[in-house]
Amino acid sequence: MCGICGCADPTNQVTMTDMASGKTSTLRSAMPDGLSAAEAHAFAHAHGLPHDHDHDHDHAHDHDHAHDHGHPHPAAATAQHGGTVALETAILAKNDAIAERNRGWFEGRGVLALNFVSSPGAGKTALLEATIKALAGQVVITVIEGDQMTSNDADRIRAAGAAAIQINTGAGCHLEADMVAEAARALDPPPGSLLLIENVGNLVCPAMFDLGEAMKIAVISTTEGEDKPLKYPHMFRAVQIVIINKMDLAPHVGFDEATCRANIRTVNPDAEIICLSAKTGQNLKSWLDRLMELRGTI
Amino acid sequence: MHELGMARSIAAIVGEHARGRRVRGVRVAIGPRACIERQALAFCWDIVTEGTGLAGATLGFVEAEGETFTVKDYEIREDA
Repeated sequence: MCGICGCADPTNQVTMTDMASGKTSTLRSAMPDGLSAAEAHAFAHAHGLPHDHDHDHDHAHDHDHAHDHGHPHPAAATAQHGGTVALETAILAKNDAIAERNRGWFEGRGVLALNFVSSPGAGKTALLEATIKALAGQVVITVIEGDQMTSNDADRIRAAGAAAIQINTGAGCHLEADMVAEAARALDPPPGSLLLIENVGNLVCPAMFDLGEAMKIAVISTTEGEDKPLKYPHMFRAVQIVIINKMDLAPHVGFDEATCRANIRTVNPDAEIICLSAKTGQNLKSWLDRLMELRGTI
Repeated sequence: MHELGMARSIAAIVGEHARGRRVRGVRVAIGPRACIERQALAFCWDIVTEGTGLAGATLGFVEAEGETFTVKDYEIREDA
């Protein structure tokens, strides 16, 4: 898979562009061997792992150097020569920890953060544009745009009237919590505002990565057919609201709303479903009402 | 597509713990809802460990529940 999608490219970079200043900064450059030596060392300290320091200078070691703070890795300490070392370490722990910190940051500020996921072309950006225009003057909205390349979407969001940060993931197929942390700090969303995160168009990978959002919202469109929820159940299970977009096209493409609703219910019985057209504004009000209701809960 | 990043994370976690000791194999616990494709992960594991201290270490899988996705354990080589 990775040989195909190109994310094995060791030169892959993730960048962030602030649309207000036009300034682009690098969020992440490739680290093929995982952590740098300095980071690995910092991790060892943080986890109380036994490790050696090369001291090429003199200083008094008159303190107890046991690194004993109740976070032992007993197996690692005993298996010095052969044997199996138990870890039970969550592989997504690093992302999840940053996501939880984001969540606390959003809650502390009274910001409602929502993570929009869909396949490419379902109309996430069009929905955000319509939302920004409809709520102008009522609520401050800031947007984080995730795409592999280009700042086209952030340009559209800015033209619609909201501050936007574009994250380019390069070969990456989803946003991760550290990218959102950087972008959110740059956007500096005020209390009571909405932070709308438009993930990379992809119904697979973004399901796994918590960004610290209050909830994930899936957008599907009538032109994609009714069976997307069955084909990508992980994603539709991870969301609380499903928006069915492009309802104005439903009669032209033979879209069967009842079948689509049934398919969503099959994988996620608790999901709320809102049918609308971001382009014509058909039933947009239902979504806006729900959005403002959610904002009232923060 | 995200398996490359996952393989990197696994290598980083094991590398930090092994601290230079030679690793024979690593076992990862994967639940049915973890959204991880084993073949892709194994493919990426070989790529990310090549030329590192973990080169040659095997990647094994252990059945787990739900969304579990953890590094279960790793084995140190006797001659390390």
